[in-house]
Amino acid sequence: MIDILETRERVEADNDRRAEEVRSSLKAQKVFLVNLMSSPGAGKTTTLKRTIAALKDRYRIGVMEADVDSAVDAETIAALGVKVIQLHTGGACHMDADMTERGLQGLGTEGLDLVFLENVGNLVCPAEFDVGAAVRVMILSVPEGDDKPLKYPLMFRVSDCLLVNKIDAAEIFDFSLEKCTERARTLNPDIRVIPLSAATGENFEAWISWLQARVEEWRRSL
Amino acid sequence: MKVIELHESATASNDRDADQLRSDLRKEGVLLINLMSSPGSGKTTLLSRTITDLKGRSRIAVLEADIDSAVDAERIVSLGAESVQVHTDGMCHMDAGMTRTGLEAMNLKETDIAFLENVGNLICPAEFDTGAGRNVMILSVPEGDDKPLKYPLMFQKSDALVISKMDALPYFSFDFDKCRERVLRLNPAIRIFTVSAKTGDGMHEWEEWLLQEAAAWKEGN
Repeated sequence: MIDILETRERVEADNDRRAEEVRSSLKAQKVFLVNLMSSPGAGKTTTLKRTIAALKDRYRIGVMEADVDSAVDAETIAALGVKVIQLHTGGACHMDADMTERGLQGLGTEGLDLVFLENVGNLVCPAEFDVGAAVRVMILSVPEGDDKPLKYPLMFRVSDCLLVNKIDAAEIFDFSLEKCTERARTLNPDIRVIPLSAATGENFEAWISWLQARVEEWRRSL
Repeated sequence: MKVIELHESATASNDRDADQLRSDLRKEGVLLINLMSSPGSGKTTLLSRTITDLKGRSRIAVLEADIDSAVDAERIVSLGAESVQVHTDGMCHMDAGMTRTGLEAMNLKETDIAFLENVGNLICPAEFDTGAGRNVMILSVPEGDDKPLKYPLMFQKSDALVISKMDALPYFSFDFDKCRERVLRLNPAIRIFTVSAKTGDGMHEWEEWLLQEAAAWKEGN
C-alpha cells in the first residue's frame, strides 16, 4: 500500500481548525474581527479610513494591513491615530489563520473591541482561507464591472456583506447594480449588498449601521 | 556520482514546460501574449477593441482563462475571432501546462498573435511562466497609482504596461507621473501605453507595438 497525501485538502482542513481556534480566542477577548477582501484598488483602505472615522468614538479599533510589499496602507491608517500593523505576506497571495494569529499577536489585541484585517488585494485566493474572523466583507468597485460574481463566485459565496464601492463614478461605467445584486444573491441569498462611495461618503451610513448591528449582536451572544 | 535534487520545485518543471511551449510556438510563428491584470481592469475590452481595429492586418486568437463562466470567450467569438474558454478549477493563475492544453484546443494555423487572457489577479500569474513570448499587464486608472508598490513582481515580469480607462482620469486621483516613476524603478525596460478602449485614445500606439512585436517574433526576436 502506498500512502497518498491529499496535500491541498489537508492544508485547508488544517487551516479550518486553526481558524476556529483564532475565532474562539477572539471571542474570549471580546474582539470582533472583520476580514475585508477585494481586488487590488477596489477601495479597501479608503473604506477603512471612513469606517474608522465613523466608529472610533464607539469602539477601540485596530487594523492589520496585509500586502505583498510596501507599507503605504499602514501609514495611511496610522495617521488616523488607531493601532495598526503592516503584514508582509512574503509573496503569498492571501492571509490564512496562522498568519492572522501572528498578526494579531504583533498588533496586540488587548483593550481592542474591533479589528479589521485588510486582506491582500485578490478576488480569488483569500476566499479559500478562513482567517477566524467574525464576519467576511468584500468590496466590488463599479469600474470592475457587474460580471464579477460570474467569474469569481467563491468570494461572493463566502462573504456576509458586499460593498459596491465607487458609485460616485457610476455614470461613466456600464455597471448595473441590479444585475450585480441578482448575480451575487444567486450565489449567496443571504449576502447583504450595500452600494456606497467611500470617497464621497454617499450611503456610507448603511454600511456603518450594518457593521454596528453585527458587532452588537455578536457581543450579546457571548 | 549522481546527485538527485529532491527539492526541485514545481516552478522549475513549469519553467521547462514554458520554454518548450515557447520554442514550439516560435516554430509555428505564433506570438503568444500573456495578458494579466486585476479583475475588471479591462482585459477583454482591450482585446475586443484590438481585434476589431487590427482586422485584416493581424489574425488574433484568444485563450480565455477564468475560474468560472464563459462570458469573455463569448464576447471574443462574437467579433469573429477564434477563442476558447478554459476553466481553471478554482486555480488563481495559468501555468505552462494549462496553457498548452488550452492552445491545443484552438486552431492556430491561421493565427499571428494568440492572447492568453489570464485569471484576473495581480499576484499569482506573475509567478508562473506560461510560455508566452511577451508578458503584458494592464493597470486601470481606478485601481490607483500605488499598485507598483504593492504588487512589484507583476510590474517586473511585464514587457509592456497598458494603463487603461484613461477616460476615467477626472474621477479618480491617479497621478500618472508618480505611477510611471514607480513602474520604471521596478522595470526600466518596460513599455508604457496609456489607452481608453472606450474612446479609442492611445489604441493606435499599442496596436502598432503589437504588430511590431509579432513581426519581430516571426523573425526570431
